[in-house]
Amino acid sequence: MSETRITCEVNGRKVARTVATHKRLLDLLRDDLNLTGTKEGCGAGECGTCSVFVDGKLVKSCLVPAARAEGARIETIEGLAGMGPLTPVQKAFHKTGASQCGYCIPGMVMAATNCLRLNPEADIDEIKERMGGNICRCTGYTKILEAVEIARDVIAGRRPEGDLDTDEPLGDSFIGHNVRRIDAPAKVTGRLRYAADMKLVDMLQMQVLRSPHPHARIVSIDTSVAEAMEGVECVITAADVPGKDGFGVFVHDQPIMARGKVRHVGEAVAAVAAEDLLTARRAVAAIKVEYEPLPVIGTPEDAIAPGAPVIHDYAPDNVVKHIPLRKGNPEAGFAEADLIIEDSFSTQSVEHAYLEPEAGVAFVDHDDVVTVHSPSQNITHHRHMLADILGLPINKVRMVMSAVGGGFGGKEDMIYQGMLALAAIRTRRPVQLNFTREESLIASAKRHPSKVSYKMGLKRTGKITAITFDMLSDGGAYGMSSEGVMRKAAILSCGPYEVHNLQVDTRAVYTNNTPSGAFRTFGGMQAQFATESMMDIAAEALGMDPFELRRINMYRKGSITHTQHRLDRASLDMVLDAAETASRWESGAPNVRGAARSDMGGPDTRQPCTLGARIVAEAADLSQGDHPTKASTEAAE
Amino acid sequence: MLTYDAYHRPTSLPEALRLWRDAPEGSRLVSGATDLLPAARDGRLGDVHLPALIDLTGVTELRGYDFANGHVALGAGTVYQDFLTDPVLRRALPCMPYVSIWFADDQIRETATLAGNLVNASPVADGTPPVVALNGLVELSKLDGDAITSRRVPVRDFITGPGRTVIAPGEIMTRVFLDTCYGYGGAFQKVGQRRSLVISVACCAALVKLDESGRVFEDVRLALGGVGPGPIRLDDSERMLRGEPLSEELMQAAAGLAAEKVASRSRRDYRRDVVVSFVRAALSEALSNAGAKAPLQTMEDMANV
Ligand SMILES: Cc1cc2nc3c(=O)[nH]c(=O)nc-3n(C[C@H](O)[C@H](O)[C@H](O)COP(=O)(O)OP(=O)(O)OC[C@H]3O[C@@H](n4cnc5c(N)ncnc54)[C@H](O)[C@@H]3O)c2cc1C
Ligand code: FES
Ligand code: FES
Repeated sequence: MSETRITCEVNGRKVARTVATHKRLLDLLRDDLNLTGTKEGCGAGECGTCSVFVDGKLVKSCLVPAARAEGARIETIEGLAGMGPLTPVQKAFHKTGASQCGYCIPGMVMAATNCLRLNPEADIDEIKERMGGNICRCTGYTKILEAVEIARDVIAGRRPEGDLDTDEPLGDSFIGHNVRRIDAPAKVTGRLRYAADMKLVDMLQMQVLRSPHPHARIVSIDTSVAEAMEGVECVITAADVPGKDGFGVFVHDQPIMARGKVRHVGEAVAAVAAEDLLTARRAVAAIKVEYEPLPVIGTPEDAIAPGAPVIHDYAPDNVVKHIPLRKGNPEAGFAEADLIIEDSFSTQSVEHAYLEPEAGVAFVDHDDVVTVHSPSQNITHHRHMLADILGLPINKVRMVMSAVGGGFGGKEDMIYQGMLALAAIRTRRPVQLNFTREESLIASAKRHPSKVSYKMGLKRTGKITAITFDMLSDGGAYGMSSEGVMRKAAILSCGPYEVHNLQVDTRAVYTNNTPSGAFRTFGGMQAQFATESMMDIAAEALGMDPFELRRINMYRKGSITHTQHRLDRASLDMVLDAAETASRWESGAPNVRGAARSDMGGPDTRQPCTLGARIVAEAADLSQGDHPTKASTEAAE
Repeated sequence: MLTYDAYHRPTSLPEALRLWRDAPEGSRLVSGATDLLPAARDGRLGDVHLPALIDLTGVTELRGYDFANGHVALGAGTVYQDFLTDPVLRRALPCMPYVSIWFADDQIRETATLAGNLVNASPVADGTPPVVALNGLVELSKLDGDAITSRRVPVRDFITGPGRTVIAPGEIMTRVFLDTCYGYGGAFQKVGQRRSLVISVACCAALVKLDESGRVFEDVRLALGGVGPGPIRLDDSERMLRGEPLSEELMQAAAGLAAEKVASRSRRDYRRDVVVSFVRAALSEALSNAGAKAPLQTMEDMANV
């Protein structure tokens, strides 16, 4: 590996380092200068977590060869405030609560700073445009944009500086109120360290060999070449697991690395811990695996077809979980109906796309305690499972939850902590694994794609008489949270409506797709999409106002839920009233068009994206033949 | 992951050409690196090892631009952000600011070059349609012994297919010649999945010049991207409009001709539908940027019909 000497100025200080020639500026900053406020969310220019100034221009450091930093002046998030007080932009982010997981925030602060440096009078359209290269997955953009506008006004002297340190008085609700987060200063300065930002003395880097096949028997794994490579400290496979292998939120059906066969593309097959990332990647490429492809189940329908291949021996019918709910007598309910509607609703797989890719560090401490730091959303359960997998007593396993750069359910599964722990035990050295974005996409759980077959019976009055609800979900290759998701989908199935006669079945089945797991709403979204669509279809068929139809059927105090629970209070009436008022709903069936209804535009609807806030004004000038500035044109109006 | 053994940063063209001529087989030139680096990732090319990279960003001769004979000769180092921030270029190339604003984001545009975009020759590149509309020629230079020799190739002939160009070993793209279009109204329309950071599904560049009366098309330039292996100049549509008085019907008819040009196999019907309203919208936008007096239909008006 060739090396290059790089001398540059970083945050006002001269630095010189000898680094591998192929490094990116991002690597130079993070690995060699320990400036980990600059993050790697994608490594491909798409997310903006790596934004830094190079000679005064904001660029994405994942796309800058480090050698180009020679002689350059670089400014990172750490340099904005330096040793001094937070900048107005940073303070404004703190004030508005514009940081949730915080992973995007250093990049956001850099982009906001750049915007206001280039145009201190940027209006909201221009701010949005100039920050378009930075993605946030959890704060949402409202608070971030609000912060930039506040900072702009403070910098311009239109707003007192003291505003940044004071909070707006709390009205009668926290809803819509900006709350300072106590960890915001750590996030807006880039000081908060996530798992990928941790560095321990003597730490090794892990890389994982993943399956190219959706379903295949592993005939053999030859790790000898990889093991013999200089700098490789260990290569592990399922054969190295000392205890009882298997993890999962409900059923422990997933080995920490494929055992005997692979069940989805991207499943871990072997892992390498080496002195550096490149050696680990080269060693992974040198592992030879012989596969014998097996018949593949691509859809949940195929999984339950007679004679379907079996994915897990313990589940010969390929069913992860079936939740049946029964209440009343649906047959009698449908017999009594004036109108019966049938339809089906499909949803697709969805990736969480938290900005922090999975990352972790494991080591064995002085008391032989295997310690794993990772952004796990379920450390206690992980600890118990890991103890079994490693064959260790529980007091010899420690799980530490590092700062989570977004999870949304996707970090509940212990998909890599086992490999890290095992490699730390094997090498007696700290081991780190940072997923690439692509790896995160291919190996982590997704939202269940599901198909709901729906039948609803109603009286002409709008009263629902019966429902059958049959959901078939693609659980993917492993169980993960499928059981809980199916339970929740069943509980919420027919919505917040009292239905005396219902038959609900939710099923998740094994396929050779990427495993499905926990994801915000935990099955609720798929069920509600079906139920609420049915309500609108029914309202249209009955010529009834959709709010009205919902009021007729809604849960009230004393209602019996789908799962036979008697409610001692219910608030749907208030929710419907509030929604009706806020949306300025014009009463009538969904398909009528009244005086105020239209399909696009209207008050409070979001305007279509505009582009070119910076050039629109100029084009207008050109066409008018004179050249007033945008600001003066506005002032004249 | 992209790895390489050597990284060269020549500062002059002769030095760059020498390094490039003598570079070991498999070496690459690099400008903004915004195509080169992301390509070496899992799911695309995977890990790639190159003997050497020759970085052109420090080469003085590739910076800046000159004007001559109705052309602007852009140095190969010209980045997309220049088309937005440089008032001289904005006036000379009125469609380019609109292309740029749709291109990636402010940060990528600081380093992404027009030259890199052309050499990369992606069928969905945003830079190729406007360059074709501006009768672009590329200058390719190489060493002949110690002397620098150059040839000029029209961009229409330079790109021969997806990712394929006529660039020869040892050649570096040194300049891009474009027609200057003072007094034209420019426009760019792009369909993608979001506003920033999105590769086009299809795109259209338009330039319109009106005669003195402001009611007759003196010149019209239209080109499409994303609908075939390379950029497509809409010569028929241009001919239909040139010299004619502005009219809704005529513009609609000219836009309609674009559907015939869609050659992409994927999502063909969608692309055919899209390009017609697209070309129509690009014409409207260009007209209004050219200072047309008549009220013209906009994309939003059309969506609300
Ligand atoms: C997040 C993101 C968003 C993007 N969005 C868009 C978009 O909206 N529209 C779009 O069209 N593209 C987009 N791209 C692609 C890319 O940015 C452009 O193609 C860009 O113009 C490439 O220029 P570059 O200078 O970065 O090229 P490089 O990556 O440096 O080089 C590209 C190719 O050209 C060669 N090359 C470079 N300079 C020369 C030269 N002077 N002579 C000969 N060969 C040369 C290189 O060897 C390489 O083969 C995007 C890329 C990213 C990462
Ligand atoms: S843009 Fe650089 S890491 Fe995502
Ligand atoms: S706060 Fe923006 S990604 Fe989490």
